[in-house]
Amino acid sequence: MFKATIDANLLKDSIESLSVLVDEARFRISPEGIAVRAVDPANVAMVSFDLPASAFDGFEADDSEIGIDLTKITDILGVVDKNEKVLMELDEMSQKLSLHIGGLSYTISLLDPSTIRAEPKIPQLELPAEVVLNGIDLRKAVKAAEKVSDHMLLVVEGDLFFMEAEGDTDRVRLDMPRDQLIDLKPGNARSLFSLDYLSDIVKPASKSNEVTLSLGMDFPLKINFTISNSDGKVGYLLAPRIESD
Amino acid sequence: MRQNLCIKCKGKGLCGRPTCPILKKFKSIESISSKININFKSSDSIFGASPPAVFVGRYGYPSVSAGPMIPPFVSGNDAMALENPKKWLKIGIEDIISARSQLVRANTKVNVKDANSHDNPLLLKSQELALSKKPIDTEAWFTKPIKNELKFDGVLTPMGPSGTMKNFEITENPKVPTKVDYLIYDTDALAKDVVLELRTGNVPNEHITRLLSIGLLGRERRLVPTRWSITAVDDMAGKDHLQAIRDYQQIGDITLFSGETFGNHFEILFIPRSFSYELIEAWLPRTVWSGNTAWVGADHEGIDGKKGYSLLAGGYYAARLGALEYLDGIRRQAAVFMVREIRPDYWAPLGVWVVREAARQTLKKTPQKFDSIEMALVDMSTRLRTPYADWMEKAEMLSNVRHQRTLDSFF
Repeated sequence: MFKATIDANLLKDSIESLSVLVDEARFRISPEGIAVRAVDPANVAMVSFDLPASAFDGFEADDSEIGIDLTKITDILGVVDKNEKVLMELDEMSQKLSLHIGGLSYTISLLDPSTIRAEPKIPQLELPAEVVLNGIDLRKAVKAAEKVSDHMLLVVEGDLFFMEAEGDTDRVRLDMPRDQLIDLKPGNARSLFSLDYLSDIVKPASKSNEVTLSLGMDFPLKINFTISNSDGKVGYLLAPRIESD
Repeated sequence: MRQNLCIKCKGKGLCGRPTCPILKKFKSIESISSKININFKSSDSIFGASPPAVFVGRYGYPSVSAGPMIPPFVSGNDAMALENPKKWLKIGIEDIISARSQLVRANTKVNVKDANSHDNPLLLKSQELALSKKPIDTEAWFTKPIKNELKFDGVLTPMGPSGTMKNFEITENPKVPTKVDYLIYDTDALAKDVVLELRTGNVPNEHITRLLSIGLLGRERRLVPTRWSITAVDDMAGKDHLQAIRDYQQIGDITLFSGETFGNHFEILFIPRSFSYELIEAWLPRTVWSGNTAWVGADHEGIDGKKGYSLLAGGYYAARLGALEYLDGIRRQAAVFMVREIRPDYWAPLGVWVVREAARQTLKKTPQKFDSIEMALVDMSTRLRTPYADWMEKAEMLSNVRHQRTLDSFF
C-alpha cells in the first residue's frame, strides 16, 4: 500500500528532476520514502532521486515498485496552484494511482515496471575536484555557452573554477575564483560536456542555492543538490564528450 | 536556377515554373523504347492486364486524378513485372523506363474525401482492381485519343501516357489475399495499424501503397496521392520496426556494408550505441537532379524518432526502412550512419523504390567489421568520390556518436 500527502510544488520539482532525462520511470516505494534511479535512452546521463518520508506531510507505505508515465503527472500538475497539497493513493489491484488535489481527483493508469528500462548500475568514480556554487550561477553559465556552442568545458585549476564554450567563430568564458564560490576542493579537472544535456539538467538545479559539482579529467560530471529543505536528494551523472581536435 | 533547389524539389515545382525543365527533358526520350510505339491514335480504347496498378495524382488536391494503369496488349505474367521492384533490379535503367512506359494511366477526377462514397463507379472499379495481387485483364475507353509521353518524378516510378477515361471494365475476378479482404472492411482500425498488419501478413509494400492511395484503408478514408502514400508506408513501417529495436541489445561490432544499385552508392555503418539514424546524401555533378555542381545534404534522428518531414524527402524514409528491417532482423540496436552517393549512372529519375531497394541490396552483402569508428570511416571514404571533408562536416549525429562518451564506459 501507498498513501502520501505532498506539497504540489515539491511534487512538481521532483517530477521535473526526472523528466529532464526520461519520459517514464520506476519508483521504488518503501516505508522510508521514494527512490528512483534512471538513465536516459542514450546512456549518457543518469539521475538518482531520493525523497524520504519526512519530506511528505503524510506518508504510509509498504515496499513496492510502480511505473509512472512522467508526462501525465506533469500535465496534471500544470493546472494546480503552487501551495496546494496533493494526496496520492495507490490502488494495487487495478494498478492505478489517484491524485486528489483540492476538489479535483485524477486517476492514472500505471505502467508495468518491467517494461521500463531497468535501474542502471552506478559507476564508482574517484572525482578529485569539487565545486559548490549557487544553482543560478550554473544556469547562467550554461545559458551563455548555448549562445555560441553545443558543448562546454568545465575546468578546475588551482583555486579557479571556470566554464568555457567555444563555437566555430565565438567563445564565451565564465571565471569563478574561490571567493565567488560557496566552496572549492582543488584537484586536476578538465572535462567537456554536451549542452543538450546540461541545459536540461541545470533547470531543476537552478532552484537550489547550493549545487555541488564533482569533476575529473575527461571524466563524468556529478551534480548534486537537495530539494525540500534538504530532505530530498537529487544527483545527476553526465558522461563527458571527447575533445575533438 | 539554384541547383540544390532541384535536388530538394525533385519536380514538385518549388522554382515556380509550371513544368519542371528536368522532367520535361525526359518526357521526350520515347526513342529509348521500342515497345512504346503503340499506335494509340487508331483507337480510343485500350485492353491489357493491369499489374495491377492504380495511380492517384496530387495536382489540384483535394480534387485529384485517379484511376487504373493499364499496359495495352500486355498480358498476365508480363504485366506483373511492370509493378515489381525486385524484378527491376535485374534490368537496366532504360529497360525499366521502357517497361513502365507501357503503363497507360486512365484518369477520372475524384475528390479525395469521396473515397467511401460508392457513387463513382470508376473509383469503385479502381478500388476493386487495387485489391488484387495478380494481374487483371482490363479495358478502358477514353474521351479522346491518348498522347504518347512519359511521366517522371523524384518519388514515383516512371509511367506512360495518360488520358481521361469515359469508362473502364475489369474482365476477370481480382485475386484478393485473405488478409487484404478482411482488413479493408475494418472501418474501426486506423490506417497505421492496418498497414502494419498487412506487412506482418507478407503483403508487399507496393500492394499496401496501392490500397492506401486508392482510399481503402483506415477509419476516415481518403484517396492519398501515390507519391505521398509511398513515403507514408515507408515511414509507418519504419516506425514499427523502431518500436521493437529500441528494446534490443546493442550490436556487437562496428559493422560496415557497401553496395551500389543504379548509380546509388551506399555506405551503411552500424555503431554499437542506442539507436539513431543519419543519412548523408551526396549528389555528384551530372546526375539527374544536380546539374553541373555537387550537393551534399544531411538529416538525422535520435532514439525518439523523426518529428516533421525530412528535408531529404522520401529517400530519407526509404533508406531508413532498409536499415531498420536489417536491425529488426538481427534483433539488435545500433546507431546507423549512412552515406548515399548519387553518381552520374543515375541519369533518369526512377522513383524512391531505388533508394529502398539499393539499401536493402547493400545490407545483403557481407559486411566488414572494424575496431574503431575512425577506421571504418577511412575505409568508407576510399570508395566515395565526394571528398571526406565535404560529407563529414554535415554529419552531426555521427559527430555526437564519436565524441559523446556513454556512462557504461566508466565501469
